[in-house]
Amino acid sequence: MIRVTDLRKRFGNDEILKGITFEIAPQTVLGVIGASGSGKSTLLRCLNGLETIDGGTIECNGVRLEAGLSHAEYRRRVKELRLKVGTVFQHFYLFPHLSVLGNIIEAPVHVLHSPKKTAEAEAFELLDSVGMKQAARRYPGSLSGGELQRVAIARALAMHPALLLLDEPTSALDPRRMNSLRALLRTFVDRGHTMIIISHSIGFLGGVSDNILFMEGGVAVEFGPTGEVLNSPQDPRTKDFLQQAE
Amino acid sequence: MAQKVLRWGADPSGGAPYVFTDPANPDRYIGYEKEMVDALAQAMGRRAEFVPSDWETLVSALQRNSFDVIVNGLEPTGDRAQQILFSKPYYIFQLQLTVRRDDNRINSIDDCKNRIVGTLANTAASRLLEQQGIPLRSYADPVGAYRDLELKRIDAVVMDVPAEAFYARPNTKLRPAGPPFTRGLYVIGLRKGDLALKTEVDAAIDKIIFDGTLENILKKWGLWNDAQVEFQAPIRSGTQSTKVEEYTSTTTTFNWGEALWRLTRAAAVTVLIALGSMVIAVVLGLPLAVGQWKGPAWARAFCTLYVEFFRGTPVLVQLLFLYFGLPVIGIAMPGWLTALVGLGLNYAAYESQVYRASLEAIPNGQWEAAYSLGMSPVLAFRRIIMPQAFRIALPPMTNDFVSLFKDTSVAFAISVWELATAYRELANASGQFLLLGLAVSAFYLAMSLPMAHLARRLERRLSNRTTERLVEQEAPV
Repeated sequence: MIRVTDLRKRFGNDEILKGITFEIAPQTVLGVIGASGSGKSTLLRCLNGLETIDGGTIECNGVRLEAGLSHAEYRRRVKELRLKVGTVFQHFYLFPHLSVLGNIIEAPVHVLHSPKKTAEAEAFELLDSVGMKQAARRYPGSLSGGELQRVAIARALAMHPALLLLDEPTSALDPRRMNSLRALLRTFVDRGHTMIIISHSIGFLGGVSDNILFMEGGVAVEFGPTGEVLNSPQDPRTKDFLQQAE
Repeated sequence: MAQKVLRWGADPSGGAPYVFTDPANPDRYIGYEKEMVDALAQAMGRRAEFVPSDWETLVSALQRNSFDVIVNGLEPTGDRAQQILFSKPYYIFQLQLTVRRDDNRINSIDDCKNRIVGTLANTAASRLLEQQGIPLRSYADPVGAYRDLELKRIDAVVMDVPAEAFYARPNTKLRPAGPPFTRGLYVIGLRKGDLALKTEVDAAIDKIIFDGTLENILKKWGLWNDAQVEFQAPIRSGTQSTKVEEYTSTTTTFNWGEALWRLTRAAAVTVLIALGSMVIAVVLGLPLAVGQWKGPAWARAFCTLYVEFFRGTPVLVQLLFLYFGLPVIGIAMPGWLTALVGLGLNYAAYESQVYRASLEAIPNGQWEAAYSLGMSPVLAFRRIIMPQAFRIALPPMTNDFVSLFKDTSVAFAISVWELATAYRELANASGQFLLLGLAVSAFYLAMSLPMAHLARRLERRLSNRTTERLVEQEAPV
């Protein structure tokens, strides 16, 4: 279970997140929509501990991160949180000096201290499920955007995160590839993963999400089941946004 | 008509009592030979003009016409005779062995067989030591030799008596070991074929000996002794000229096999210094880079200060400071170690900047990706950031290493026998500047080319497997 309560984040005097609250069940997908600058990306960066939160709490499978903890305790909990949360960045950030296989086993071997053999066997399974098994020995520099994305997903999943965050996964894909990504993500949900996906493509999110969160100006304007939010939005701001998006 | 000049060359640095800078009046030169040349010039109807030069290169400077005569306690040796002309002798010198006052092991040159003895390069003393197979370290001036003796870097010093009397006798920590030994001649050196000037100079020497001018000068400088009385007597009694044959001349013939062996040993020292200092630079550069890049304010200030100090002052000055300055607070390292540490500290400043630039070139996303996989900052740095930065840093590091190799030559300033020192000394002793120069260049290339080749191969291997790397990843299609 993932629960975010009254989450606040400031950059200097600018409050970027003004008290975000939502809760999602395991094995569901939350799609986050909103205009650029609405705070979507900052929300994602708070959830994986890349930004320090200024108020509220984040709870994820027994880890509770909250503002106002001592520095040492906060860092300890961020470390725990990061083991529960995996991230697929918009630009993937694969490690260019490591092979595809090396990218995937790096963290299991050096953070979880899994034996290299076990980690490799698991990596091949993951690569197989994202359709990249044949590229295990290649280097990121020789892969296309879509291939990089699949490797990045496999790399994040190799750490067995309870929650997988995806930042703009559709920005690099043509419609055909979007469909196959959607199918791929759903298979991982069926295997037990929970996801939060930021995307500008409402069509993509409509097909993959269980719930939708609409953000504007750092506020969670509307949160609810995908069908309800997209088809009969309650808030006029959501209506405006969806109309313009069409 | 303008008065003719007599341009004379000598090395005034540490040159007392021959010719040196007047401590009370640093814009002037003084010394017994300065006064003697003034007297000679007067006798020749010329005006003396001093050309400060370098002991080691006096002969070649004379040949290049930088001045007309060498007057610098020059001994008429066989190898010099092939290159230049000698005047009549004007002084009888002897050698003196000096040791530390509390050192009772050495009382004559025969006790020095397995000790390191310091002396000036290419002098009667250095040739004598070489002939007797005594390990010697050559210095550019007596000050450095006696200081190293005090600091126990060497065990004894052999020097011509005039220099010994001036530099070692007043030092209470040193003592003369045994009486002065061997007798040799000082002459004036002239260019080959300059016979007219030689006649003029010889006549002037006779004149200032005959009329007692030289005696007065030598007495004034405390250099008048029985040997001079004996030497001057025939000239002053009649017109009989001095018999040169009565005095030893410490000639050595140039031996190519031995020279190449010495060059090989010098090359080994060069490699040792270069490799050792590169290890220091590569290792120390990293904390400097990280401190300056991500450290707390005090660490950043310290690292910046370090880098600016070592980049902003000449490496030669740093070496002299380490070699002569540190012993004041009780740290006396041998010359090769001083060069190794000094160059290491110096190049660490440069390497740190190479590292810093390389580390900063790694996109922040690499850090974030590592963090979000649960890596600690240390692990992320070690496994993700550093290997990528290393690839960027490798070409400039190779460049630095090659230039470090050549920079080892500054170690000659602190009497380390590396390749450049070897070239200077062997070439000055033999006059074989061209051939030895080619040999030394071959040695340098033999060391730097394989290294450059190795670095290129490593670079190629690293870049082969990650061609086109970041570009595609940063701009997804």
